[in-house]
Amino acid sequence: MIVKDVVCPFCGCLCDDIEVEVEGDRVVSVCNACELGTTKLMGEKRMKGPILRDGDGWREITYDEAIRYAADMLLSAERPLLYGWSGTHGEAQCVGVHMAELVRGVIDNTSSVCHGPSILAIQEVGHPGCTLGVVKNRADLVIYWGSNPIDAHPRHLSRYTYYADGFFLENAFRDRKVIVVDIRKTETANIADEFVQIKPGGDYAVLSALRALVRGKGETIPRTVSGVTREQLIRVADLCKGAKFGAVYFGLGLTMTPGKYKNIRNAIELVSELSRHTKFTISAMRGHYNVYGSNEVNTWMTGYPFGIDYSRGIAFYNPGETTAVDILARKECDAALIVGSDPAAHFPRRCLDHLADIPVVQLDPYPNATTAFCNVQIPVAVTGIDAEGTAYRMDGVPIRTRKVLSTDYPSDEEILSRMYALMQEERER
Amino acid sequence: MTYLMITGRTVNQGVTVENKTSPEYAEETSTCHMHEFDMLELGLDDRDAILVTGPCGAVVMRAVASREVEMGTVFVPYGPYANHIIDAGTHSTGMPDFKSHEVEIEPTDDEPKTVHKLMEDLGGLAYDR
Repeated sequence: MIVKDVVCPFCGCLCDDIEVEVEGDRVVSVCNACELGTTKLMGEKRMKGPILRDGDGWREITYDEAIRYAADMLLSAERPLLYGWSGTHGEAQCVGVHMAELVRGVIDNTSSVCHGPSILAIQEVGHPGCTLGVVKNRADLVIYWGSNPIDAHPRHLSRYTYYADGFFLENAFRDRKVIVVDIRKTETANIADEFVQIKPGGDYAVLSALRALVRGKGETIPRTVSGVTREQLIRVADLCKGAKFGAVYFGLGLTMTPGKYKNIRNAIELVSELSRHTKFTISAMRGHYNVYGSNEVNTWMTGYPFGIDYSRGIAFYNPGETTAVDILARKECDAALIVGSDPAAHFPRRCLDHLADIPVVQLDPYPNATTAFCNVQIPVAVTGIDAEGTAYRMDGVPIRTRKVLSTDYPSDEEILSRMYALMQEERER
Repeated sequence: MTYLMITGRTVNQGVTVENKTSPEYAEETSTCHMHEFDMLELGLDDRDAILVTGPCGAVVMRAVASREVEMGTVFVPYGPYANHIIDAGTHSTGMPDFKSHEVEIEPTDDEPKTVHKLMEDLGGLAYDR
């Protein structure tokens, strides 16, 4: 059976033009998706059922036992951490927030280690963004700053920027210019019309130099700024000012480097400066397919986008204190529920030392690095493959992912709802 | 010798990311992309083992020549190998310095560990070996 208009549950592009061929309970071929999406949609090696760590071994347990274990773990913890959430659908994220409030825990999502700093900057100076469709149809200049879409968001260029047709561009491929700013000469840099190679840690200075140029203060610019020549800076500033509609897409090359959220703030202020000359917009290249959704769901339910601490009975937010890496590194939490992410692969080692010391329950379809630290792992259906639910694209557009095949695996929402119901019952006693 | 280690996404890292206990994921995330002159200085050939020492430990990876990085900078795909030596400090932002760690690199005769072994060394228990 061929299923059309499938939504790919890999990266923040949430491509919704995928075709998959299904035979029984397996996807056997995938059309239109990139290599990342194809591999995920055809994914195998799923865990068969819930497992429990039993001394130096593992034993299989039932879903009922696993859910009871997780509920008891969270209820008996003094400071539980509920982390992950970007690899699941919005409905499951909602249950997660309710659970965190009930047990007065800390709920954080993967944006604290990807675009959390971008959100901090947006909280300071706002977000002059737009949807991907606007960029596709109007932008004649696209800047990728500290991001490498060919590797991380392979269809971003073909669906929305460099290789895409644009309604208001006569010959989009010829008329649209792409600038890449990076410290590495990446694959994306190789196809750029202008590649600006900066020295590591120099983003803030280069952004400031461009702001000065756009303001007409060119005389203040030295001969080179963080390895970028004055001539190239002037050329880039002129390209930006001369564009009819410019779009900046920035990646973790800005959020993870020295300066962190101040880099993003400077980039947003450059865009604001450019908007005095022409139309300019800026957006983050979000990684997980629903990391934007975790920020949305957390914000509308708690007022804050990530790192929310309910220990006071009300939502409290202080990145650097209430974020997962800090809480684990300080050995502060006494239990962890991990949903739709793999902190053991992506957190610094000091965090894992603590994960090894506390009870951990993980909801994930596959064995991963965090499995080794789990007391219980509960395999779930994969959103976009055998579960449906709402995800938010990197530009904030909610898209309903589809279920393309049926399996016996329960969805994240189903498991979390059953867990939450048990916890409510226990608390009401 | 001291180098700046940056981490990031690659296609192969993304392709193997849902299969983290596979040899392919281990190979991809334990690859240290270096400038060929830096490799020459250290007497390294492609896929030679190197000991990379960061602020909170050391890990064995394999060096591979890359035209993408400048001299003095090395690139490692996101994963448990780079994170084995990355410090957890976040400067009150929640975000560690994933792209700005100074590391020492030297040739070694040791082999890179498997992901299972890395996790077990930190107190975990491998499931699907």
